[in-house]
Amino acid sequence: MKCESCNKKLATVHLTEIMGNDKKEKHFCEDCAQNVTNHFPKAPSPSDILTSLINQVSPEIREMSKTTCPVCGLSYLEFRSQGRLGCPMDYNVFKKGLLPLIERMHGSSQHVGKVPANAGAETIKKNELIQLRKELNESVEKEDYEKAAELRDKIYELSGNVEDGD
Amino acid sequence: MEIKDLSDKTGEWLRGTGKESDIVISSRIRLARNITGFPFLSRANLKQKKEIESLLRKTIIESNITEDISYVNLNTATPVDKLLLVERHLISKEHAEGEGERGVAFGKSETISLMINEEDHLRIQVIRSGFELKTTWETTDEIDNILEKSLNFAFSARFGYLTACPTNVGTGMRVSVMLHLPALGMTKHIEKVFNAVGKLGLVVRGLYGEGTKVSGDLYQISNQFALGKSEKEIISIIESVIPRITSYERMARKALVLESKDQLEDRIWRSYGMLKAARMITSEEILQLLSQVRMGVNIGLIDEIEIQTLNELFVLTLPGHLQKLQGCELDATQRNIIRASYVRKRLDGL
Repeated sequence: MKCESCNKKLATVHLTEIMGNDKKEKHFCEDCAQNVTNHFPKAPSPSDILTSLINQVSPEIREMSKTTCPVCGLSYLEFRSQGRLGCPMDYNVFKKGLLPLIERMHGSSQHVGKVPANAGAETIKKNELIQLRKELNESVEKEDYEKAAELRDKIYELSGNVEDGD
Repeated sequence: MEIKDLSDKTGEWLRGTGKESDIVISSRIRLARNITGFPFLSRANLKQKKEIESLLRKTIIESNITEDISYVNLNTATPVDKLLLVERHLISKEHAEGEGERGVAFGKSETISLMINEEDHLRIQVIRSGFELKTTWETTDEIDNILEKSLNFAFSARFGYLTACPTNVGTGMRVSVMLHLPALGMTKHIEKVFNAVGKLGLVVRGLYGEGTKVSGDLYQISNQFALGKSEKEIISIIESVIPRITSYERMARKALVLESKDQLEDRIWRSYGMLKAARMITSEEILQLLSQVRMGVNIGLIDEIEIQTLNELFVLTLPGHLQKLQGCELDATQRNIIRASYVRKRLDGL
């Protein structure tokens, strides 16, 4: 049976309209059915299905799904499907979504270790402090109080004028 | 130096020297770096890729990082040349298969390799023979220091060195130690090693890194985390694990000699006989044969071959090398014939 509206495609939507005592049967193809009635919802696209699936599994993606990096144009969803970031700025723009991921991958989200020499004195100091605090915790755990005291003094000396935190 | 000069010699990391070199083939460290002001490669257009390539190439060549540096443009290199570089561990498979302007700079000894426009703008790699992580790191660190004088690497105080894939962010460092573990493989104890190593956040891979299968009883142990621990801490974790695995392998070898000496010796001598006499050998088979014979040398059964020769044969008999040596493309059957004849020549065979 052909669609009674366009007369081209196969009719796959069959509507029964009852007005008073009158009963009318109408037969449309999928496209035309959407134009004549709003009772027939459009079939969800594969990407809609995927998005709804992701939303159920990973709520952080739903929150981030509308975020796009203004520098490289990468959207958070594109990142999640390809696994690669588009530019250094993405680490800031997608921070909220990336933090739990990075935590899971590395068991941490704070860099300790090498800092480029031209990163600026403040950054170098800040990272050195993070490293020293970590070592301090470890030496306290090991009950190496001599080393801990040494580290504490170093931290005190360094932290004079550095603002701590993120 | 040109690529054709590579095909009949090998890099220093295959010499079979260094600590624990009976079991540890090589120690490798790589750092991932990106330049500020450019997008990562997946979002870079052809013009930007070209700019990055030319900036890095010039900086590397002018920085005098290593004597007698060679540069290969991978955008114009032939498939056989690219295959040869992958087999040499000078570039990765992904780098060979990539698109756009990209290349690799390496020193004469092949200890140092700098990959431009791989997954990140720059990958610094240093590889040495045996269990030598300390000196390997010193060289890697030094190259990074030299390059950062003229380049601004993308970095944040929170996340460290910023990389295209978040699995590398932080130190951008991956440490890989390649081990030859035939006895653990034979006695099926290797599974226990995998489990123990996994608990420490380390991962076991095949001969050519991620996603490649294990062959010739060669395994690469490397770190999975790159953030939250300093370079030295990551190295010391791996440094503490490797000696345990090597002593486990030695124990397994001793047990095999004690419990099934005849079977073991038969297996090793048969493998040696095959290498010396076979007229066709597949790439799969040769890894197994070389692995057996290498163990035979290590346990003192065979004394007429140098470990270096066996280490080199693992690489020189790979498809890219055979084709380069022959100077033309070869199909699988032709390769199997040439492979067998090359090995017979190297081992004074029949």
